[in-house]
Amino acid sequence: MTQPSLYGSCSGTMRRVMDRMTEQIAAFGKTYELQYGEKLYEHLNCRIKSEESMREKLRRLGLEETPFSALRSVTDSIGIRVVCLFIDDVYECVRQIKGIPGCTVILEKDYIQNAKPNGYRSYHMILSVETPEPDAEGKTPGHYYVEIQLRTIAMDTWAALEHEMKYKKSIANQELFIQELRRCANELASCDVSMQTLKRMIREGNE
Amino acid sequence: MKILFAEDETDLREVVTAYLEYQGYHVDAVSNGRQAAEKAAADAYDTIVLDVMMPEMDGVTALRRIRETGNTTPAIFLTAKAEVADRVEGLDAGADDYLTKPFAMEELSARIRALGRRTREYRIRIQSFGNLELDLEASELRARNAIGLAHKEVRLLSCLLSNTDRSVSSEELLKEVWSNEPADSDTVWMYISFLRAKLRSVQANVTIEGDRNQPFRLKEIGYV
Repeated sequence: MTQPSLYGSCSGTMRRVMDRMTEQIAAFGKTYELQYGEKLYEHLNCRIKSEESMREKLRRLGLEETPFSALRSVTDSIGIRVVCLFIDDVYECVRQIKGIPGCTVILEKDYIQNAKPNGYRSYHMILSVETPEPDAEGKTPGHYYVEIQLRTIAMDTWAALEHEMKYKKSIANQELFIQELRRCANELASCDVSMQTLKRMIREGNE
Repeated sequence: MKILFAEDETDLREVVTAYLEYQGYHVDAVSNGRQAAEKAAADAYDTIVLDVMMPEMDGVTALRRIRETGNTTPAIFLTAKAEVADRVEGLDAGADDYLTKPFAMEELSARIRALGRRTREYRIRIQSFGNLELDLEASELRARNAIGLAHKEVRLLSCLLSNTDRSVSSEELLKEVWSNEPADSDTVWMYISFLRAKLRSVQANVTIEGDRNQPFRLKEIGYV
């Protein structure tokens, strides 16, 4: 017997909300590029959390496996990741995202300024995005959560490695790996900050 | 504590070695400068004691050789000559102290202890100011966050941390951090800029005051 869809009638709307958000980000990215002659972000990924991993998450949180829990109690069903070349670009993207019509920031966390103890750095935003279509509560206009992670390429590379390590259950001498990974995070942050400083100095020199 | 001791006069070498061993030191005794340089290259010592006048290679030349390899172990000269020029030559070759022969054993061991105290103080691992910590060993800057630092950034910040009571000029910083390398006030300015950005990035309540080509000084500020 196949399970009924977790996202149910919302799944089409979820995709449209995600597409609209990525289009809006791409649009301000395009405007920036035309104005300054350089990319505001390097690339952008998006995904709808698979029903399988959403169910697993709901079970872990002790929540019912319903569209309401998946879309109103959990905020990462729609995820977008924006990867930038420079730290300043991350903050510029954050500023522009806040200006997208129909978006309300529910929560934002600056893990660039306040790195997690393991060294993780990124800027996290949870948005409530309005759509003319109904949401999981049946309300129209509907509201959907969109989680956005923004970071530099260096932070993205680090996160990829950390993710890989987290899911490898049996690493000999794990403490050493954690410690060295933390050191890498601090060295990458050092390079990110140095490169940003050089970029600013080059710019000021040309003005 | 391990001591490298070079002295060509057999009697003196034996009596000093016996005395220092009695004091609890491990002593490697050699009889000329060449052997001393070889030993210093092969093993790690806490203090080096060198006679100046020795056959094959004198103590001053030996110490120059030792210093050329980057070895910074504290060194004491034993000199029979009380000439100012000899003492100057020895100190300039990289010695930290000297004793004129004849000397009292107690004084030699007191000078070895004194040098040991100073080196330990120099071997500071963490310097701090405000909410800031500079970990010299890990090359890391910490406040509410941690960030890695390049070698020159560590030296530069360490220099400012040792002089929080005064301003340090670009010339002083160049001499202290870049010594003989090609660098100028633009280099200093660039590294000051790197450090400023890194201080902000770890949310330190400390900033570097000073403009390009001006003296610099660390200053505590309120949280931003």
